[in-house]
Amino acid sequence: MNELVAADLLVALGNRQVLRRATLAVRQQRMTLLAGRNGAGKSTLLRAMIGACAVDRGLVLLEGQPLAVWLGRERARRVAFVPQSIDTPFEFTGREIVAMGRYPHHAAGEDLDASDLAAIERAITAVDAAAFVDRPVPTLSGGEQRRIAVARALATEAEFLLLDEPTANLDLEHALQLVTLLRRLANSGAGVLVASHDLNLFAPHCDEVALLHDGRVAVEGPPAVALAEANVRMVFGVASGAATGAFPRDFRL
Amino acid sequence: MIARRAGRWLTPLLALFAVLYLVLAREGPGVVAFGEWVVSWFGGAAIDPIDRFLFMNVRLPRLLVAAFGGASLALAGAVMQATFRNPLASPDLVGTAAGAALGGALAIVANMTELGVVAAPVASLVGALGTTALVFVLARSHGRFAVATLLLAGIALNTLVGAITSFVVTLSFENYTASSRVLFWLMGGLEARNWEHAAITAVGFALFAAMLVPRRRELDLLTLHDDTAHSLGVDAPRVRRWLVLCACGLTATTVSNTGGIAFVGLVVPHLARLLVGPSHRVLLPVSALLGALLLVASDLACSLAPPQMSLRLGVVTAFLGAPYFLFLLARCRRGEAL
Repeated sequence: MNELVAADLLVALGNRQVLRRATLAVRQQRMTLLAGRNGAGKSTLLRAMIGACAVDRGLVLLEGQPLAVWLGRERARRVAFVPQSIDTPFEFTGREIVAMGRYPHHAAGEDLDASDLAAIERAITAVDAAAFVDRPVPTLSGGEQRRIAVARALATEAEFLLLDEPTANLDLEHALQLVTLLRRLANSGAGVLVASHDLNLFAPHCDEVALLHDGRVAVEGPPAVALAEANVRMVFGVASGAATGAFPRDFRL
Repeated sequence: MIARRAGRWLTPLLALFAVLYLVLAREGPGVVAFGEWVVSWFGGAAIDPIDRFLFMNVRLPRLLVAAFGGASLALAGAVMQATFRNPLASPDLVGTAAGAALGGALAIVANMTELGVVAAPVASLVGALGTTALVFVLARSHGRFAVATLLLAGIALNTLVGAITSFVVTLSFENYTASSRVLFWLMGGLEARNWEHAAITAVGFALFAAMLVPRRRELDLLTLHDDTAHSLGVDAPRVRRWLVLCACGLTATTVSNTGGIAFVGLVVPHLARLLVGPSHRVLLPVSALLGALLLVASDLACSLAPPQMSLRLGVVTAFLGAPYFLFLLARCRRGEAL
């Protein structure tokens, strides 16, 4: 079983050590929720795990090899990333954005073939985006853009999927749809890591919850254990009283 | 679909303008009788050898410089807008063209042009690369090039480099021929272009376009945030350097032959994007065709203007480009995307 492992990471941005000895493993067939306060380093940990930010100490390992030794395209075919926003100044259509997910499957100068188009269609269907996928991205709502970004990551057909706040801006229906989709992907073999503040939404569907605190993964375990009252108080500084008593076990509106 | 349609009418349109150019353009007061010249191929009356000379050695190379120069500037603009992730980036605004002009001016003043035909283009390339590298360093913050910082850095460097160029020209005032040559060249124009100029422009275009085209999908990805591009397997900083090098090359080989031709690199990629969308697989060829078309048509307009007006090509393109720039600004003020 393949793993994507962040081992003992130290990452400093400017003068601030955002991550200190952060260790986290994403395993295939598992879905992990990464939570923590604002500024706890969730995005930084994700960026480090796709190799997008320099690591001052520690290692990220993909299939046992340091991430840095992987060729860009080889790595991109295995680890896909959903950023917080699509963020392009040009008016690409949703379909063109999704098609960019096929880039790592080709050498420079090659164009897309039939198998790429099929993968693009599957990705669009999976996020229920067919209705607006041919419109320019800047004209889409925040939630629609988010679904396009997810579809692009799906189009890479990578075995690891890292998502940064994937449900921000999503309406309830599509948030639930996304959770179900991610769960299904994990069941069929993908390793999914979701950085999110939405504990209520994700925790019941995750195999594991990791809480970032003080630059490291302070708590890690099955949702019911990781989100125990003492841990929630330590990491988030809030009391999770009677209202959340049953919360890790079933989802409540 | 749209792409094919635009491509279908652009190529014949360019061909039409090229023919119009060959038939109508004038070199100074003389008018070459193109019709007679064609008739002479098929055994008609022999034509005046002077006309023949003007046609073969003035009009034809000038047409080629216009076409390949326009295509090069447009491509350079398209590449810069994608690599800087900024729809206002272009060889003019970023300072690449000013740097190329400084390099070219130095080459003329220092009489390096005696060293061979490639001296001026090489000096221009050095100037273009130097200025662009500076903008790169100055305008970059947190891995991105915001509209405001890029424009500010561009304005600052354009002014500075322009001032240095003026200084170089005034230094060489005693040498009247050199300084007037520089001034005339700086204004931008295609007068007295010979086959060497045509060859440099064409080879520069072919070389750097060939370096660009395999990168067309990376260009699409570079318009995304660097993290996203990275996650899809693009080494954004390395690819960006390579692409900006190509854009500088295209600008330098053109500017060293045509002088300052404003706004082509800014406006043409915008027009092309309106026609066929932002995907570079289609955008690059359409930009190149449109750029060639724009310069050929503008130069034709220059040559048809009354001789006493002596309309310069750089003036015509500025007249076309500046209003478009203002239109972009107005859209910006209405809060729309550029």
